[in-house]
Amino acid sequence: MTLAPGPGLSLSHFQAFLLFAAVISIAFGYLGRRRTNDRLRYILWSFFLFLAVGIGLAWVMYPFSR
Amino acid sequence: MTEDVTQRQSVDTVQEPTLDVRPAPARTPGEPALQREFRSWIYAFAGWLIPGLGHALQKMWGRAFVICTAVGTLVYVGASMRGNVFTSSGGDAFDTLGYIADMGTGCFYLFARLLERAGADVSHSQGDYGTRFLATAGVLNILAALHAYEAARGRKA
Repeated sequence: MTLAPGPGLSLSHFQAFLLFAAVISIAFGYLGRRRTNDRLRYILWSFFLFLAVGIGLAWVMYPFSR
Repeated sequence: MTEDVTQRQSVDTVQEPTLDVRPAPARTPGEPALQREFRSWIYAFAGWLIPGLGHALQKMWGRAFVICTAVGTLVYVGASMRGNVFTSSGGDAFDTLGYIADMGTGCFYLFARLLERAGADVSHSQGDYGTRFLATAGVLNILAALHAYEAARGRKA
């Protein structure tokens, strides 16, 4: 993560993807579950699914990028 | 009414204490339905205007903090990546939808406008990611405001 010249934060695609997944997973976990253990489990599961679906879709689209 | 109070007591005994205290004001015994409905809308509006406030007013401190931090982070990152902060003067339906999504962040919309003094730059992927972050922040905050509304009505906790 670097601060690009001028007013701009520079994140790679994967860094942005990880940040997005983490923030949304934590928010969903807190909104959707009440007990701490349930929240933690939900956050981890949601984060894992974000990664799995994102990377899976990337591989599915890979042949079309050529 | 008696049945309602009994049900509420049984729910209270089952629930374990956590960081989020249950929405006590929303479950005031004997409160007229119309008054509860009105207060629920107030919480939803407050939650939209200042992310997390709808939950904070119901003493759900953990949720309030997480919502405020999550929406704030997404807005800050989105605007810092020079994402497009849509205005009401958009020319097409996509601009209007983007504006509605961005307005979902409530007062953080103004924060994004202040951060993005150099204007949007969607000619690079960074700006495109930023646009998505900003829209997601708005939709997430609307979801949280609806959650605050439901919690105030006693449907969720």
